[in-house]
Amino acid sequence: MRAIVRTVSELCITVGALIVLFVAYVLFWTGVKADGLMSDQIDRLQQQWSQGGVHEPAGPGAAAGPAAPAPYRSGKAFAIMYIPRFGFTWNKPVLEGTGTDVLKKGLGHYARTAQLGGRGNFSVAGHRRTYGDPFKDFPELRPGDAVVLTDGTTWFTYRIDKGPYRTVPTDVEVIDPVPRMSGYTRPGRYLTLTTCEPEWGHSHRLIVWAHLDSTEPVEAGKPEALRR
Amino acid sequence: MYGWIWRHLPGNAWVRALIALVLVLALVYVLFQYVFPWAEPLLPFNDVTVDNQ
Repeated sequence: MRAIVRTVSELCITVGALIVLFVAYVLFWTGVKADGLMSDQIDRLQQQWSQGGVHEPAGPGAAAGPAAPAPYRSGKAFAIMYIPRFGFTWNKPVLEGTGTDVLKKGLGHYARTAQLGGRGNFSVAGHRRTYGDPFKDFPELRPGDAVVLTDGTTWFTYRIDKGPYRTVPTDVEVIDPVPRMSGYTRPGRYLTLTTCEPEWGHSHRLIVWAHLDSTEPVEAGKPEALRR
Repeated sequence: MYGWIWRHLPGNAWVRALIALVLVLALVYVLFQYVFPWAEPLLPFNDVTVDNQ
């Protein structure tokens, strides 16, 4: 009898310890791992760009509005995103694809949506919690906020027009070329960000929409939105 | 359970404590490296897209 009671209580303590460890893993360790992976991705991108190995092989004489740039490679980082509302040190790599593995290393670009700065809707998903909490402050975004991206050759400054808008996970029309409910009526160069809602749940999604406000070559220095 | 493990570890109390510590660390490593990464996607924190890819 005593042996049974002892074994059961030992098992309870073991399960409790496992749960505490798992919570520590989810809250803390995924963030440590993701921060390392994300800064690796950014370092690699910047190194690649400084060596002139920019994604688009367009020469300096290429016409404005490059014709059909090469598709992004799945799982590879191709841009860095800056959102001043999240703090001036906030910058995250954007990778191609929205699979679980990709989102562990940064923000994910929906593969079937437009390319950065292109006609259509450049759509990006990111974790709100765990894996470095990239979109933790998502509800703080307001119309007029800047979302700045660079692909190594150009700064793209998007301005948020609407959001955060709460919707259901099956509402794929929010990343359409002319997103439903966004208020846009004509085709244009748009950006959509998605994350989960509520913060630790998955019953809904939060969305913001932005339009391309300006582009500048990287040689011109940081765009106005990133200057302090 | 733990008493059974303790009795089956070799050496004196100090050696046993050391082995026990190593076993615990190995278990934590296996959990963090293999078990938790497998279990974590089963929780809802990964659902951030609208098309469930």
